[in-house]
Amino acid sequence: MTNLHPLLYLSALGVYFHGVYVSITLGFPVAIGIMLYLWSRRGDQFYLSAAKKMSAVLAVNFALGAITGTLVEFGLVQVWPGTIFAIATFAFAPLALELIAFIMEIAFLILFLVTLGRVKPAFSIAVLALYAAFAYFSGVLITAVNTWMQAPWGTGPVAKALYPFLPEFGPLAVDVQKLVALKMAAVASGQPVSLVLQSPGISEKIGVVLNDPWVAFYSPYAVVSIFHNILAAIVIGLSLAVAGWAYRYWKTGREEYLRIVKPLAAALAVLFFVQAPIVAHFQGEVVAKYNPTKFALMEGAKETHVNPLVGLVAFGDPNKPIPGFDGFYAACDALGNATVGDLAKQLNIDLAQVAGLLKLQFAPGVAEVKLADVCKADVAKAEAYMPLIFAAYYSKVAFAIVGVAAALVLAFTLNRVPVLSSVASALAKVVGGDEKRRVFLLAALAFVGAAVASVLGWYVREVGRKPWTVYGLLYPSEVVTPVDYAASPGFLAFAFLVVLAVNIGGLLAMYIVATRGLKFWRR
Amino acid sequence: MDAGVLIGWAGLGLSVIMHVIFVSVTLGAGLLAAYLRWLSLSDPAWEVPARRAFKFLILAELFSGVWGTIITVFLAGFFPTITALATNVLFTPIAVAIAAIMVRIPAIAISWYTWGRISPSRHAAVMWIMAISGFFIPFGFRAVFAEITAPHAVASYLAAGTASPFAAWGSPVFWTLYLHTVLAVVSTGAFAVAAIAAYDRDEKTFKVAAKWGFGVLLGQLAAGPLYYFTLSAYSPILFNNINGPYLPVLAMKLVAVAALVYVGFKAFRGDMSLGRLAAPLALFAVVMGEFLNDGGRGEYFVLIGEQGVPVAAFANFYMPIPLGAAYVIVGFFVLALIVFALAAYYALYKRFISEVPE
Repeated sequence: MTNLHPLLYLSALGVYFHGVYVSITLGFPVAIGIMLYLWSRRGDQFYLSAAKKMSAVLAVNFALGAITGTLVEFGLVQVWPGTIFAIATFAFAPLALELIAFIMEIAFLILFLVTLGRVKPAFSIAVLALYAAFAYFSGVLITAVNTWMQAPWGTGPVAKALYPFLPEFGPLAVDVQKLVALKMAAVASGQPVSLVLQSPGISEKIGVVLNDPWVAFYSPYAVVSIFHNILAAIVIGLSLAVAGWAYRYWKTGREEYLRIVKPLAAALAVLFFVQAPIVAHFQGEVVAKYNPTKFALMEGAKETHVNPLVGLVAFGDPNKPIPGFDGFYAACDALGNATVGDLAKQLNIDLAQVAGLLKLQFAPGVAEVKLADVCKADVAKAEAYMPLIFAAYYSKVAFAIVGVAAALVLAFTLNRVPVLSSVASALAKVVGGDEKRRVFLLAALAFVGAAVASVLGWYVREVGRKPWTVYGLLYPSEVVTPVDYAASPGFLAFAFLVVLAVNIGGLLAMYIVATRGLKFWRR
Repeated sequence: MDAGVLIGWAGLGLSVIMHVIFVSVTLGAGLLAAYLRWLSLSDPAWEVPARRAFKFLILAELFSGVWGTIITVFLAGFFPTITALATNVLFTPIAVAIAAIMVRIPAIAISWYTWGRISPSRHAAVMWIMAISGFFIPFGFRAVFAEITAPHAVASYLAAGTASPFAAWGSPVFWTLYLHTVLAVVSTGAFAVAAIAAYDRDEKTFKVAAKWGFGVLLGQLAAGPLYYFTLSAYSPILFNNINGPYLPVLAMKLVAVAALVYVGFKAFRGDMSLGRLAAPLALFAVVMGEFLNDGGRGEYFVLIGEQGVPVAAFANFYMPIPLGAAYVIVGFFVLALIVFALAAYYALYKRFISEVPE
């Protein structure tokens, strides 16, 4: 069996690099838009220069985002080909619409870059807004797909049948018999799903599994995640822009850099304040409702217990207990002596017939495996992640608090608001140093707070749903490639090397673009 | 053919054609730009031609990439069976292509934005990396095309349950197809640069681009027939269709190639009068060639000697395909092309892309 861990790390590396570029892709248009607006209102060329500088960084960033997006996409179908089944069903509509978003995003970005500074500001702002709109739309669609893996909306009580502590995932939009038969085939044969998918004519033989192609959009988890993820990306991108210009201000002492930082810091503070305490709260609520094991991991709940603060925040009821792993084991026991064979019988699934249709060899004795044992084994696998997820989650909260506090202090220090500015100035003095240094340090703290909170938040989101790739339905081993050498040291070394070289080189290029002037034409 | 299958098949065909149009320009122009940049190390007068050649690439590359992404989504969404089969059996060729994409795209962005910001020799090295990495992309993906035309690795996999990671490159169809492809893109990219140089009355760039375009076109006159005869030996269905129902398309391609030889020869001798026609003629020949290669397989997705596996055998029947969404997507593709054309107009004709990055 393929060793999954290096492949998971490879995918995670690609996703994290992609996250860096997505943050700039979504955050920089806000900063560039503000600069263009100020240029149009005040006619100061310095704002146009700032917009151009950030647009050049955005262009290199976009190229890197596109290639890491390609990596993530190919990674899905290449390294995890079992996900092709999801792409052909639940993810079909979001990914098909994503084509619109992606192609329009590129078309408007090219138009914006080519015409910036050569057309009226209003035209540039309009094109930038269209580019940003499609970039955000792309974020909406990709988040919808990712969210389906967190809460497989449309599968109703399917996961609950094996894991009684799970909720139902929306209305039933699937053919339960076929979906469960496919899952049983993967479990019984020990083979990745892609080996089932690859036989010519198999799709026609299996027939319709999903009745509603749009079901991924109906998920309440998706709605909240969309706001949470996109806002997080904007905050990181914007905070990076603020930190970059604040650094210039600190190093050069030129007042025009402060004139750039001022409005950007105000926008950052507003968005960060909406994100950290408000949107994040709703995200926590849906996690508590739809990912009970993840929520228990986040709260370190080995045993079910009452925590008034968490109860109030997560459930709106301080007396409501946090479900712990003891409760999950007990729920598994409620399955009694029911076996895989019993479940198959209940759904009129003939395992021998399924094996014949899919041309697979089923392991002997699969029908006799007790469902409670499968359930408890998976709960134990999830529980093993507790120290990591608990630490990551609370570190994330701490960084978010630091970040939002720094953003607010910076904004109120630079923009006069009665009372709040006085408080902010007093707090800023805690940082020490002169005004220029304080501005930079606060901006850097806001960036670090936003970036680290997001990195850890994404870790909790992705690792917290283990041992499943699709929560309650599919394991990573069921969607991994059957190609053994994909996990060989040689291939992995090559893949890691390419990913690291390309991304480090790209980040270096972005730094050069952001910091160096042209040398060649002056020689 | 089922409506969902038909729209998937047509959409896939459209995406492949659009992708091929843009990549032909970018791969060829990239190689020429790297060569000119290298020349500029000893003679700075080549720097402006190098930048002009590079302008095409910078404009078209991301747009060509997006069509590649569209192909992937069409494949996985509409044809999950063949996508699963390809990723399992052709893992290595696809991985090579992905690695090349990962090197190529940032190398382009780095080349553009570090021009004048790093030393010229370092910059020239980055340009060569950019240019050469591009040719590894069809080295991977053309292996997939060769497999659906005359299965080699897949045949071995289906017969023995296993295939060497490098089996796809053992296909004779692959090598002639790859040679045909490489020569086509180098020639097309150079002719595209020559055409815009003719429009700009830029004699220096025109001459070098025309020489490249015409020289490689002569090689193509041998590579095209070689591929044609390889098909006669290894893919009789495609060969017969090209000489049967698709004969008018073949004829149009040959007429375009003949016209291109004439225009190219005049350009080669430094005559700029017909130079602007070089790009549309070259691109038309490329489109016709790809249409023959892909459309010529008719109702079959995979051709195996005298037999074929129908498109429907690989199609998505796991859910009802939302046809309304598919039509909306196609509409947006058209809108994106209009926006892109507007950007190209500003960049190339209104000269909004400066010779130096700002």
